[in-house]
Amino acid sequence: MSIFIQIFLRSLETGSVYALAALGIILVFRTSNITNFSQGALGMFNTFVVVSIFNNFGVPLWVAIIGGLISALLIGMMIDLVIIRHTKKVSPVAKQIITLGLIMILVRLAPIFFGVDPLNLPRLIPEGNLTLVGANISYNGLFNILFGLMVMGGLFYILQYTKVGLAIRTTASNEYTARLMGVPTKTVTLGAWAVGSMLGVISGVMIAPTTTVTLNLMDVVQINAFVAAVLGGFQTFYGPVVGAYIIGVVSNLLLFYVSPVWGGQILYVLILLFLTVRPYGLFGKKVVKKV
Amino acid sequence: MKKIKIAFKPWMGFVLFGIALALIPLLAEYTTFVKSSTIITIGGTVIFAIAALGLNILLGYSGLISLGTAGFMGLAAYLSAYMTVDLGLPFEVSLIVAVLVPTLIGVLVGLISLKIEGMYLAIATLAVSEILRKTFEEFEFITNGFSGKSARFPQLLGFIQLDRASTYYLIVVVLVIAMLLTYNMMNGQVGRAFNAMRGSESAASAMGVYSLKYRLIAFALATILASLAGVMYVHFIRFAYPSTWNLKLSLDFLAMIVIGGLRSIYGTVLGAFIVFAIPDLFLKQIPFFNQLSYVLNGVLIIEVIMFYPSGLINIGFDIKRLWLKLRKGIHDAGK
Repeated sequence: MSIFIQIFLRSLETGSVYALAALGIILVFRTSNITNFSQGALGMFNTFVVVSIFNNFGVPLWVAIIGGLISALLIGMMIDLVIIRHTKKVSPVAKQIITLGLIMILVRLAPIFFGVDPLNLPRLIPEGNLTLVGANISYNGLFNILFGLMVMGGLFYILQYTKVGLAIRTTASNEYTARLMGVPTKTVTLGAWAVGSMLGVISGVMIAPTTTVTLNLMDVVQINAFVAAVLGGFQTFYGPVVGAYIIGVVSNLLLFYVSPVWGGQILYVLILLFLTVRPYGLFGKKVVKKV
Repeated sequence: MKKIKIAFKPWMGFVLFGIALALIPLLAEYTTFVKSSTIITIGGTVIFAIAALGLNILLGYSGLISLGTAGFMGLAAYLSAYMTVDLGLPFEVSLIVAVLVPTLIGVLVGLISLKIEGMYLAIATLAVSEILRKTFEEFEFITNGFSGKSARFPQLLGFIQLDRASTYYLIVVVLVIAMLLTYNMMNGQVGRAFNAMRGSESAASAMGVYSLKYRLIAFALATILASLAGVMYVHFIRFAYPSTWNLKLSLDFLAMIVIGGLRSIYGTVLGAFIVFAIPDLFLKQIPFFNQLSYVLNGVLIIEVIMFYPSGLINIGFDIKRLWLKLRKGIHDAGK
């Protein structure tokens, strides 16, 4: 039983990393109708910014993280201002290719700025373990879970109960009508890219201590966040987040109890089978098309 | 006097295009302008163009999307390498098996596509590709895991051993055949059914287009071309790593057909050259931008999409229009 709880807590930690990335993807998708394949690359690049600030200036880690958040904010806003804003006539598939172009730029710029060696990022809370019913979790892991929940709770509060949230939801529902009603959709899209990019760096900083900071840091996160978005459904903001936690928990359970080698593949096969039963994900509804 | 007129058939264009591509290694031998490393770059680009042609059938004509091209290509590459090197089977046999197995999986994905569509289908095919990629990493018996699988240049009919240049010719021949078949099929009954399906699935069904059949055909054709490209890749580059067949490569294929132009056969090849060959052939020659060549390529891709959302192949019309405008301007000024 204690092993199960241990795995469950660890899964919540990875789940919150996936959930933050998935939330970034869905925010951008709903407001500017772009499937953002560069979410992972953005997170990777800005995590490099955090590491290089931390290593070169000798500041505390949290200051470096704030530096990373600012750079994420600026890069996200720049992407929208320079590129996305001018692509109103471009088809959704072609917009995906724009994010591929962004991946190429970010992945090739990172070694030029930060060198080719893998770097290490320490944990925000260096040591200490909490024992819970025989299961261990580091304070850092606990902090990650709680911080992730806090960020997401805050964003959902904004989405649901504030004027800004209303603007985002109307833009997501129908951009053209929203603009007619006086919603500044351009600012909404700008904000979505900025927040999406910042969520990317938060998930990057969370996952970085478990591995080394390389160009492939976010590959797994990126793909799992996408699968989470499909599992939860693209039509709601909370669907992908729930999907991300499910993927985090189920993948770790499969890896431990079924097979350490084939667990990941089994999970994807299960998700594919699930999609044939519910094609629009857990919370999605069928879109009725006119003939 | 009667003029003798030879009607220009589309197939002649494809064959001429193939001959022009095939001349590049000869140029490399006799001139200093083309370097021999160029052949590897161009050969690789032609291989990727074959796979992209399959994706163009799927996305351009039938309107279904796939992000699984890289996975299928990798599966075919590993199968062919395993059968020729470890089992010692002839190239032709391994080619057929290496195309058949991924195609079966591709048809299965086609079955799934009946239920799922749009973005959901894209991510579902991405999941299939990820399953395959993880399997490449773990199934060391066939794929040799992370250390990579090596293969040899193909041996045709059991006694004709090809070298790099002649493998390149083989690849060009495969591309020309693929272009021809694509052109003919897409202008025939299958193409018409695809066009109807792309417009509206329900309307197409009402007109008697059996959508299951044509969806399976679309996925089968795309997977066959992707697998052919995979087999060519492993016998031309002679090495395959699991990390090659990732999401980035699938997105590259998508980029090629969108940049070149959906439903354009020459556009697909043009797109392949822009995505794969431009950094190696041109951008790296600029002294200062050496390091930045791939960054510039990313910028180029974004620019093309922003200014030519319907494909770079349309640039021809724009130049023509500009020319007519200019000539008219000169004409008017002359008055």
